[in-house]
Amino acid sequence: MSQVNTGSGVSRRNFVKGAGAATAAGLGVAALPRAARGAEADGKPNYGMLIDVRRCIGCQACSVACKAEFDVPLGATRSWVEYIEKGEYPNIGRSFLPRLCNQCNHPACVRVCPTGATWKRAEDGIVVVDPDICIGCKYCVHACPYDARFINPVTGSADKCDFCLHRVSQGLEPACVETCIGRARVFGDLNDPDSEISRQIASNPVTVLRQGQGTEPNVYYIAADHSDEHDVAHRGRYVDVTTHRREEARR
Amino acid sequence: MTEGLLWGMPVIGYLFLAGVGAGAMTVSASMYLRGGSETRGMHVDTARYGAFLAPIPIMVGCGLLIFELGSFEVGNWLKWLNLYKVINLSPMSIGTWLLTVTIGVSVVYAYTYVHNAPGLPDDRRYALRRALSWAAVPLGVATAVYTGILLGAMPSRPFWNSPILALLFLVSSLSTGVAVILLARALIHRKDADSGAERHFEKSGYILTASDTLLIGFEIMVIFLFLMFGYLTVGDVKEAVQVVLAGGSLATLFWLGFVVIGLVVPVLVELYYVMPKLLYHREYVAPRGVEIVVSVVVLFGGFLLRYIVVIAGQITGPVGV
Repeated sequence: MSQVNTGSGVSRRNFVKGAGAATAAGLGVAALPRAARGAEADGKPNYGMLIDVRRCIGCQACSVACKAEFDVPLGATRSWVEYIEKGEYPNIGRSFLPRLCNQCNHPACVRVCPTGATWKRAEDGIVVVDPDICIGCKYCVHACPYDARFINPVTGSADKCDFCLHRVSQGLEPACVETCIGRARVFGDLNDPDSEISRQIASNPVTVLRQGQGTEPNVYYIAADHSDEHDVAHRGRYVDVTTHRREEARR
Repeated sequence: MTEGLLWGMPVIGYLFLAGVGAGAMTVSASMYLRGGSETRGMHVDTARYGAFLAPIPIMVGCGLLIFELGSFEVGNWLKWLNLYKVINLSPMSIGTWLLTVTIGVSVVYAYTYVHNAPGLPDDRRYALRRALSWAAVPLGVATAVYTGILLGAMPSRPFWNSPILALLFLVSSLSTGVAVILLARALIHRKDADSGAERHFEKSGYILTASDTLLIGFEIMVIFLFLMFGYLTVGDVKEAVQVVLAGGSLATLFWLGFVVIGLVVPVLVELYYVMPKLLYHREYVAPRGVEIVVSVVVLFGGFLLRYIVVIAGQITGPVGV
């Protein structure tokens, strides 16, 4: 059992704060968590994830662990890994993009829910769905810019990644994090400047997906390839995205 | 084309039917109030058509929505009632309550047009009809606008995420509302022995057709602005609008089906019949057959608009990741 938060001394904290401020100036403040921006933390955790794409080998162990953890029905995915192929021989590249719910600070899905079945938990920032309330209207599935939601064919309600809330509440890490053989995933409290995730975010160039949507995701990436086949098609560059989901194309 | 889409034919049907019903209710109440709201107002016969036509499409449309729900598909037949346990700022939540009130008002409003309605003496019936007319106009407009707001609320769906979409749906709803009244009149009406009543009937026909001409003209302008700003901008919206522009997968259906057959043809035919009276105060005469064809074509265009918009919004998304 690995601990979610890594503690460390006061001097280190002050160092990290300084480093955070310096990085914020260089990177653009919007892509950094509140703690790194030096905002007051209210004592509650704000869980986030950092995915270091350089360490991802596209093995899909996270996808499988997630399927097993939640018994996700066939054809649906809470967590998945996209393969991005680009270029033409001999100048080619291939990278992987692990995807999951971004647990946004401004969740577009929550805003449109007509029954109050989905909300962002005040205690840890995780966006959850109550399948007993949800009627399956699919409004949130449309509203999510990350395609992270789906209608569970068994319950008929909206479903998505919840950072393995049942594990996290017991002090465990999410299943995808624990199983990652490349240690590409770091899970932790973005409000704690001493956590592994905060330190890594503060000291690396990080990005979030579809920042222009204004959702302020809590899932950060190092070295993610943001190429999209629709985006670059008219520039004549070859990019092919394999989503490994029933939805074969990103929308 | 709707296979594999989250929102398919039931939602398209709902948007169309609720639009027609809301439009018919608004037009009916407006005609009634305009014709003088005394016992036998000038346009009361036409208003009656609209009043009777309004409730059923709205109710059928809402019923269709329930079939599309994930909970209904897995056998929780009544889980949709959860919609009534809260009210929040989700367009769908506000829309649920709005539709509930609209359905209620449309049913009672229609009932006030029933001759010798049981439990409703005539003097109270007329008073109620008049009061409900004042409620029916804003409720019908709100219902028509709401369907556009519902789709427009999501930046993740750039084709829908336009402030002018709701206006487009409103104008289309009113136009199809007029069309369904014209169609019913043309199909059902028998010549009245009373020449005064017959003259009123012809006059209502002129007002309806002239209004529809104006509404379709306005709709063409709204569609033009929707496309032009989509074309002139950059990024997500520009990419999304491409599906209905030249080379897009919905372009033929949109331009030939909706714009030419659904808008341009009917507005030209209507102009042909409206102009002589409008310009030279000649008698307004429109053959039954023409009225029927024009109304059907306008309704077809209204359906195609919902069909194309619902599909286009779902096959496009933000560019880049």
